[in-house]
Order: sequence, then structure tokens, then C-alpha cells
Amino acid sequence: MHIDFYYLAVTTVTLASIYGLLAVGISIIWSSLGMINMAHGFTFAVSGYGAWLVAQNVSTNGVVVLAGGVLTGMLSGAVIGGLAFVPLYDKPNFAVRSLIATLAIALFGSQCLLWAFGPRVKALPPIFPTGGFKFGTASVSYDRLGAIVCSIVLLLAMLAWMKRSRRGLEIRAMMQNPEGAALVGVGLRSTAIAVMMMTGGLAGLAAVLLSRTYFISPFAGAIPLVKGIIVALAGGLGSLAGALIAAALLGLVEALTAVGLGGRFVLITQFLVIIIILLIRPRGIAGMLERTRE
Amino acid sequence: MSEVLRIENLSAGYGALGVLHNIDFTVQAGERIGIIGLNGHGKSTLLRAIAGLTGWQSGSIKLNGVEIGGIRSQGPGRFTHQIVRQGLALMPQGDALFHGLTVADHLDSGAYTRRAWRERVRRRERMLEVFPPLAKLLSVPVGRLSGGERRMVSLARGLMADASLLLIDEPSLGLAPKISKGLIEALMRIDLGNGAMVIAEQNLSRLEGAMTRLVTLHAGKLKGGAAANMGLLGGHH
Repeated sequence: MHIDFYYLAVTTVTLASIYGLLAVGISIIWSSLGMINMAHGFTFAVSGYGAWLVAQNVSTNGVVVLAGGVLTGMLSGAVIGGLAFVPLYDKPNFAVRSLIATLAIALFGSQCLLWAFGPRVKALPPIFPTGGFKFGTASVSYDRLGAIVCSIVLLLAMLAWMKRSRRGLEIRAMMQNPEGAALVGVGLRSTAIAVMMMTGGLAGLAAVLLSRTYFISPFAGAIPLVKGIIVALAGGLGSLAGALIAAALLGLVEALTAVGLGGRFVLITQFLVIIIILLIRPRGIAGMLERTRE
Repeated sequence: MSEVLRIENLSAGYGALGVLHNIDFTVQAGERIGIIGLNGHGKSTLLRAIAGLTGWQSGSIKLNGVEIGGIRSQGPGRFTHQIVRQGLALMPQGDALFHGLTVADHLDSGAYTRRAWRERVRRRERMLEVFPPLAKLLSVPVGRLSGGERRMVSLARGLMADASLLLIDEPSLGLAPKISKGLIEALMRIDLGNGAMVIAEQNLSRLEGAMTRLVTLHAGKLKGGAAANMGLLGGHH
């Protein structure tokens, strides 16, 4: 069997950067809000429609469409936070209640999208110029390159912002110890909404960048949600570094499987790898490196 | 002398359990008050009730004349950040630290209010004078520190905000006597200005002589809360 190294590398990096956007979002939400956001996939889907509406009504300029998707994602995140976190977070059994609440939002929201836009998939105009270049033996389209660069730049910008700004310190404090955060004056509700907007924006970005692979449809978020959650789990929920390592690893597994066995085996091999990781390290790749929410 | 804290008829607890029963307690500016009581008699619950962290509470709590208490049946912590921004610093048992963040991050997070955030560099230096061992640990994640160092971080984080009321829950808990003696001495050196300090402690001998007055908390009731003299405790220990 011949494996093209360059093709493999390009595919791995593309998948890793996009899984990273989703998994980092899910991971941050889990550790700072203590909630598994089952509606993250809905945010993904609705952002696609947001970008599509912008492309239909405002401009087909790539930057404008991208911004439309990101803003819709932020809005969707804020709404999910307002419905599932703010009224519930200080009630008993918040973890289960919020899981149910976000699941309900996802189901209800997807049905609304179906009702409003119909079942037919939509496509976005190309965000990046058509064409491409040769990287070794693999040809890389500008679309792919754009997706990689955009996600990496945005992820790095977000991590730097979390590291340096006052708001970022708030979020990191809340990720580590919500009661301690409240004791230094961090408002948990407003910080939670900020987290939901930030992660929603990342999901929106992923939706637009992936619109060539997962066309926009009411249930387009299901597979990205599953992949985002398994990557976040494999990385160790709550760890950003772990999520990124797991995203790279699972991107590589997916690329290898697609090249070696065929695309239909991708989910099988990915789950096998995750099961093996979790058997060896029950708290995920980075679960031991960082102490996170118990 | 102005009142920093006035508590009237405070009851508080968790679920079906009532821990505090009709407590009245007043703290004047400049006072250092020790609350002495055995484990499980409500010292921590009293401090947590002031910060709005108990399961439920009723009664009036006024911080610098502003009502922060009232009747609340659920939602522990819902108003804590607002109370903190009005001038409260609680250094709780167990320290409530952020294990993955560095000592410097902790000091910054303590200077969370906008004014404190602008002055945080100067305030950080002042904290390092109070707790010199922290100076060389600034970039170390708190999860790797010893118990005594963690307590220092917790105290320093609480002091960064320049709060008018400092509530410190068992500063010496779990520490070697020599270390806890040093910590309490450091706390005594802090200039309170127009603020006040309340320390909860099991062990009377740790606080004796250092405080303006001592009160005892027994079975959820306060003794000596209103009278500002130490005579009440005479022969108690």
C-alpha cells in the first residue's frame, strides 16, 4: 500500500485544526460552566444558516460571510447560555439538568431550522479564491489553506487573549474553581455568557470553514458535535492543550483511515483509538497533567 | 468609629439543617475580632453567610451600611461576586485556589475590581512585603506549592482587593505551629485603615493577645458579640 505523505499531512492538519475549534469550545464550556453542551452542534448548524443568509442578502465577500457565521455562532452561544446556564447553575444536579436543557435546545432548534429553511442542503459561496498550489506531491487548494490558517490564527488569538486579558483571567479562574472565582468578584453568569459567545464564535467559524465538506442543513451539527465531544474527551475534558493534541491525533487517524481503508471506516477507527486512549488514561491525554474540575 | 458590619437576627444553614440561630454581631472600623468555636459550631457558616454562600439564610447583614443579606432559600453564591465588589474579602477554609494558575495569576485575580486592577502591580509588591516567600514563586502553578505557601497565596489574593471587611477562616488549619504563628503575625501587621478583620479559629491560644476582642460561637449562637470587651472570655480557657 502506497501512502502519500504530503497528502496525509495536509489532510491531518486540516482536520486537526477544525476538530480543534470544536473540541476546544466543548472543553472550555465543560470546565468553566460544568456543562456538556449538547447544543454545540446546533450552534454549528445555525451559524451555517447565518452565513448563508449573509451571503444571500448582504454580500458574497468571503470575509463578510465568515463574519456572519462567527457572529451567528456567538449569538447562538449566548442564547444557549442564557437558557441552560443562567437559570439552572445554582440548582441541584446542574450537570444533568444542563445536559437535558442543551439537548432540548438542540432538538428544538434543529426542528426550527427545518421548519424555516426546509430539508434541502445549502452551499456557501467560496470563501477563499479558487485554485491552489503544489505542496510536495499533494495539491492544496486555497480553500484548505484558508481553513487551516483561519482556525489556527483564531485559536492562537483566543489562547493569547485568555492568557493576557482580565476577562481571560476570569474565565481561567472559573475553569479552575467557580467558588474561588466568585470570591474574588467574578460574576459567574456574565463570565459564562462570555464563554458561550467565545466558543459559539469558534463553532461558527468551523461551520463556515467546513461548509464545503458538511453542507448547511438543519442537522449538519450532529457529526461535528460527536467528533468535538470525543476529541475533547480523549484530550481530557477541560484541558486545552489536551484537546489540541487529541485533535491532531484523531485528524491523523481519520486521514490514515481514509487513505488506507476507505472513508466509511473513519468513525470506527476513531472510536477504537479513543477507547484505547481512555483505557490507558481514563482522564484523557492531559487529564493527569492538569487538575481540572472533578 | 463607623460600623463596617452589622448583622441582625441572622439564621443560616444548608437544606434541612439550621447551623446559625438568630445571630447579632457588629464589627467597627479598625477592629480585629477573633471568633472562637469548636468544629461544627458554625464559624465557617457565619463567614460564608456574610458572603452569601450558605444554602439558605434569613436576617439582615449590612456591609458599610448597605444591605447584603435578606431572605434567600436557594442559589448559594448567586450574589457573592456583588457582595465581594462592595468590599468583602473571604479567605475560606480549603483556600478555594485555582490549581493550574500561577501565584502571579492569583494575585492579579484578587485585584479584580477595576480600581484594584489598575493598581495591581503596586499592590502585588505590597503583598510580597507581607509574604516574602511568595516573591520567588510568582510563576509557579499553585498546585505545586506546599500547604503553608498555598495559605499565603489565599491570604494574599484576599488582601489584594483592599476590601473593607476581611474574613479569614482558620488561617492556621493544617499548618505546622511555627508557620501558622508567622502567618498570624503577618496578618496582624496589615494596616486596616477604615476596614476591619474577622478571624475564625478553633484554637484560642493562637489569637490570644493579638485581637481587639474575641467572641465565641457555640451551637450556632454567639457570645460576646455585642460587648467590646475580653472579660466575657475570662476563665473560659
